[in-house]
Amino acid sequence: MLEIIMCIDDDPITLMLFKKVVQKASFAKDIINAINGQQAISLINTINNNPNQEKKPEIIFLDLNMPIMGGWEFIDLFNTSNYQNLKNTKIVILTSTIDPEDIKKSKSYPNVIEFLPKPITVEMLNDLKAKI
Amino acid sequence: MKNKANQITLIYILSTLFLAIVSYKLAKHLPYLTTFTFNFVKDLFFITITGLFFRYILSKNDEKNSEVNKNLRQTNDKLKESNDKYDIVAKATSDTIWDWKIPEDHITWNKGIKEIFGYSQNQVGHNSRWWFDNIHPEDSIKMSIKLYSFLEQKTEKWQDQYRFKCSDGSYKYVLDRGFIIKDENGKAIRMIGTIQDITKQKEEENRLKLLETVFTEARDAIIITEAISNDNQVPKIVFANPAFNRMSGYEHSEVIGKSLNSFMGKNSDLHEIEKLTDSIKNRKECFLEIILYKKDQSEYWVRLSFIPVYNVEHDLSHWISIQRDITEEKKLEKEKEILIRELTQNNKDLKQFSYITSHNLRAPLSNLMGLLNLIEDFTIEDEELKEILAGFKMSTHFLNNTINDLAKVITIKDSTSIQNEELLIRDVFKNILNQLQIQLDDIKPQLNIDYGTITKINTNKAYFESIFINLLTNSLKYRSKNRDLTIDIIITEEENNTIKIIFKDNGIGIDLERNKNKVFGLYQRFHDYPDSKGLGLFLVKSQIETMGGNISIQSEVDKGTEFTLTFKS
Repeated sequence: MLEIIMCIDDDPITLMLFKKVVQKASFAKDIINAINGQQAISLINTINNNPNQEKKPEIIFLDLNMPIMGGWEFIDLFNTSNYQNLKNTKIVILTSTIDPEDIKKSKSYPNVIEFLPKPITVEMLNDLKAKI
Repeated sequence: MKNKANQITLIYILSTLFLAIVSYKLAKHLPYLTTFTFNFVKDLFFITITGLFFRYILSKNDEKNSEVNKNLRQTNDKLKESNDKYDIVAKATSDTIWDWKIPEDHITWNKGIKEIFGYSQNQVGHNSRWWFDNIHPEDSIKMSIKLYSFLEQKTEKWQDQYRFKCSDGSYKYVLDRGFIIKDENGKAIRMIGTIQDITKQKEEENRLKLLETVFTEARDAIIITEAISNDNQVPKIVFANPAFNRMSGYEHSEVIGKSLNSFMGKNSDLHEIEKLTDSIKNRKECFLEIILYKKDQSEYWVRLSFIPVYNVEHDLSHWISIQRDITEEKKLEKEKEILIRELTQNNKDLKQFSYITSHNLRAPLSNLMGLLNLIEDFTIEDEELKEILAGFKMSTHFLNNTINDLAKVITIKDSTSIQNEELLIRDVFKNILNQLQIQLDDIKPQLNIDYGTITKINTNKAYFESIFINLLTNSLKYRSKNRDLTIDIIITEEENNTIKIIFKDNGIGIDLERNKNKVFGLYQRFHDYPDSKGLGLFLVKSQIETMGGNISIQSEVDKGTEFTLTFKS
């Protein structure tokens, strides 16, 4: 079981659903929620600036379509040198988009390990567990 | 001659009489000689004298005869030579010669009438009527007016061109020239003429006239320029057709001596001008599109060719340029470009819109699906709530399927190139049947798959599976209630690396008479079934066509349906 993961999605139902499925699959102990890229970045900044906080999210589940800061913008920001200490953190895109361009684009980021369609299921998490 | 013969005879009688008398007198005065001897001597003498005389006469005659003979032979030779010469001339000129005795109205023709016009001896008429009758009706009046005014001695020489009919009915252009022989009163009594076949010249003349019309009548501008220019410009125009004058607005005289450069202006593409100058320098033909300027300085677009022309000595003699006004074409092209740009943008916007719509529909739907998944973990005691939740679940799944199918339609139309992979055909079908396991177990159709000799297929896995899942689902859904469902799938290899798959069921069928053009259309439903969305066959057709394949249908109501699919292997 992972220590800590992050889920970035503007839809509260998705976040709730995500939490329940993660619990059911015993995928992670703790989940940090953010409702857009901007909030996620400031949360990550807080973690980075707090010397007491040892644990860093191992996987970030990311939606693409969000207000204020979308998924792509977040990845571009996250991949800058400011977050060098989180370079082992993997990103899983969890979205309801069907635009082939998005799937193509996701393959150009080495730290994006999966592109999953919503809704998240226990099976998906089990597969992911096997993969990492 | 007769006189001479009498003369000779007379001389001979007189001289022999004289001799006889002299002998008689001598015989009287010479008694010492015997009569016998005297007679013998006298006879000898007489014979010798007459013999000599005859010889003289005969040799004289011979001499005369041979001279006459010689003269005769010479005359004969001259005659023959003259005849030969006539024949040779007649042959060499290849003209037809006629000789018209006017008072008798009798014409004789030489061999030419046969050799040039093909008339045999018995076809040729020997009066002027035959001659005139064979002249082309359009030419005969003009010809006869000219001929009779000549015969009335208003003109000195006569010559005319007309068409003369051949024995096969065709006409030949001829040049007829004649002169006249008059009697002492100045009346025309005989006319001799020669007919020359000028069909070839005439045809050439007509051909050139026709060719000239290309130049004068063409809608395209045609100009001819000198071979070279000294000022690094396009060589000077030496000739321009009316179309060029119309196009440029200049008079013909204003154009001659000008270079094409003087028709160019600020909007003429420098790159194209350079191309033209270069090809002139290299004596190569050249094609370009450029803006030129009319006399009133308005612009017009031309598509022009510039082609070198060589003379017999293979020296560059001229350039020919053909120019077409494409102003309208260019305008349309520009409009078309704008339209395409707009359409492309619109299409892109619409596609984006459909992705966003799809995303916005799918996001809450996926939540519903996720929540329903969670409900399954709870045991619900309340029967009514159980029923409500079951309905809720069914509707959500149906909505999800519809949205997924629509999403597939959108992405198919978007994927310009798809990835193919080589697959084992048995594995593919095994996988397809696995996905439909629940329904197959429920309905238990008799399913026959004949793979033939095929083991592998090069295709897109997702599309191939989707196509057969759709077809199988349709067969299961639209089966007949009166008989057990049978599905036959027959796979064969065709020419040109094509694989043909026949998919056949014995279901309720589709009335093709009524629905022929709609079978593969979007949102077309043929049966009133609650879960039919009118998407399946549209999707199948879209997918197979995206892979470069084809699908056709045969169906009869309450008999079954047969699909024939072809795949590029």
